[in-house]
Amino acid sequence: MARTTERSKGPIRVGVLFSETGVTSTIGRSQLQGTLLAIDEINEAGGVDGREILPITFDAQSSPPRYAALAEHLITREKVNVIFGCYMSSSRKAVLPVIEKWNKLLFYPTLYEGFEFSNNIIYTGAAPNQNSVQLAEFMTANFGSRVYLIGSDYIYPYESNRIMGDLVLQRPGSEKLAERYVPLDAGPADFDTIMRDIRTQQPNFIFSTVVGDSTAMLYSAYAQAGFDPKTMPIASLTTSEAEISQMGWDVAAGHYTSAPYFQSLDSENNRGALARLRRRFGNECVPNLCWEAAYFQMHMFANAMRHSEGDEIAQIMPQLLGSEFEAPQGRVRIDASNHHTCLYPRIGRAEATGQFKIVREARRPVHPDPYMVTHSLGDWTAKLEEQL
Amino acid sequence: MLRVAVLHPDDADGRQLTQQLQRIGCQVQAFWPPVPTLPEGTDVVFLAVQPEITQLEFEWSKSENAPTCIAVVTYENPTIVETVLRLKAKAVLPAPVRSFGLLSALVIARTVNSEIQSQSRRVRKLESKLAGARQIVEAKNILMRTRNVSEGQAYDLIRDQAMSKRVTTEDIAGAIINANEILSMGVVSAVPKGEDLP
Repeated sequence: MARTTERSKGPIRVGVLFSETGVTSTIGRSQLQGTLLAIDEINEAGGVDGREILPITFDAQSSPPRYAALAEHLITREKVNVIFGCYMSSSRKAVLPVIEKWNKLLFYPTLYEGFEFSNNIIYTGAAPNQNSVQLAEFMTANFGSRVYLIGSDYIYPYESNRIMGDLVLQRPGSEKLAERYVPLDAGPADFDTIMRDIRTQQPNFIFSTVVGDSTAMLYSAYAQAGFDPKTMPIASLTTSEAEISQMGWDVAAGHYTSAPYFQSLDSENNRGALARLRRRFGNECVPNLCWEAAYFQMHMFANAMRHSEGDEIAQIMPQLLGSEFEAPQGRVRIDASNHHTCLYPRIGRAEATGQFKIVREARRPVHPDPYMVTHSLGDWTAKLEEQL
Repeated sequence: MLRVAVLHPDDADGRQLTQQLQRIGCQVQAFWPPVPTLPEGTDVVFLAVQPEITQLEFEWSKSENAPTCIAVVTYENPTIVETVLRLKAKAVLPAPVRSFGLLSALVIARTVNSEIQSQSRRVRKLESKLAGARQIVEAKNILMRTRNVSEGQAYDLIRDQAMSKRVTTEDIAGAIINANEILSMGVVSAVPKGEDLP
């Protein structure tokens, strides 16, 4: 595959920008580890036509202005053409103008609220039609349509709650009982009044878009209030194995999450990647949906590089668009028209083991639709099992 | 000189915005977080519609002679779009802000705003004219009924009264209708109980 054209034989320097500290550091560290694991695998297998991938890593500390400053630094000082990073939408929005200004490329391995397209970004996390639609379908079919919305106070929860509310309200007898927001650094007290309100309102299920460290506070407050996940579970798009490890397995058990990836996925690719991860990082890493996206996007970058003259966006983008990869979740593909990724929606129920039992699963990848051009319930392609 | 209030954080976009506005000859004041009341005489407001302000109420955007509002947006999702609509923005400036395009957005927003304001003034005038015409018809009917006169004579009576009292024919028509209502009290109670008689 190696081309004979003249080019640098030095390492391919890439920027890596996640939060190793701050409120979203649990996910940030896992995304960093997914990125570094893929780089190790690529380099151990001989790199990209003999060239190593060399990560230039910075800790953005969960701070959007710091993300922007570090992206600028990576581009202007470290001379990288490609950056892998960001978690919260506010961090992506901070980096986006920098990336566009210098015409560089950002790989964004995180689910988000949609309604964005940039020529300079590849989105490898779920768009709302790949997680919210399925979750709304599942929760309303199994628990009822009276929903209580709780989120962290920023744009992703606002928009996700809006989408979830709209979806749930398509059901007969549906009701949006409340829409409450807590600070990103919310503590137990912030959730106490909400739990009292939930006791009064008795929703069929709670939809949480709480992210970061406060996720554990929410689930703990729920457990302390003595509520029963069998009749009134919390449904989420962001409560992954990482958040569960923070709150305690027993606290999470019985609640639902919609994601394209769960650690418990029984595929050879997944088992292999997890085993290599354990060898590389031991047990400190908690793989989750964002870890997996960070992992497979680096492989997709390396594969594209093998067909590219260089790592400048104009050279590599044509190789990325439409490309496919056998990821732990299944065979994914980057959609050429909207730069998002075809993924496999799944619904998992948290078990007392800290893992998710996958109760629903799409057999075929679902095409990303970031602007929700078509979003109605009933688009569910496959059911694994229905034992609830 | 156009007086512009920039409600935007003091960052690269905010500075780009204020500097370009100054270059094109505007008198600029910048605030963040958004101030509840604008400086006296503000013609145009540039407002950064950021996620954290979507819940805020902007009283100045609701007044009759609200200044022209131009939204500066970073997100294009329904939550933000809805806020932009609620603010009655007349133009949208995408962030990151570029100098180019700001002048056109400003001119178009100002024009649209003044057209809307003059049209709503016109609509109000027409509505009151229409209401007046309806009153004259009703007053004529009353006169024709009570005085046994023709429609033309009824109108002449109204017009003569208006001329001699130096008020509009609509005012006289209104007075006739009122008087008629009061005089028919007991026949058909047209005046709500407890209301003071004029």
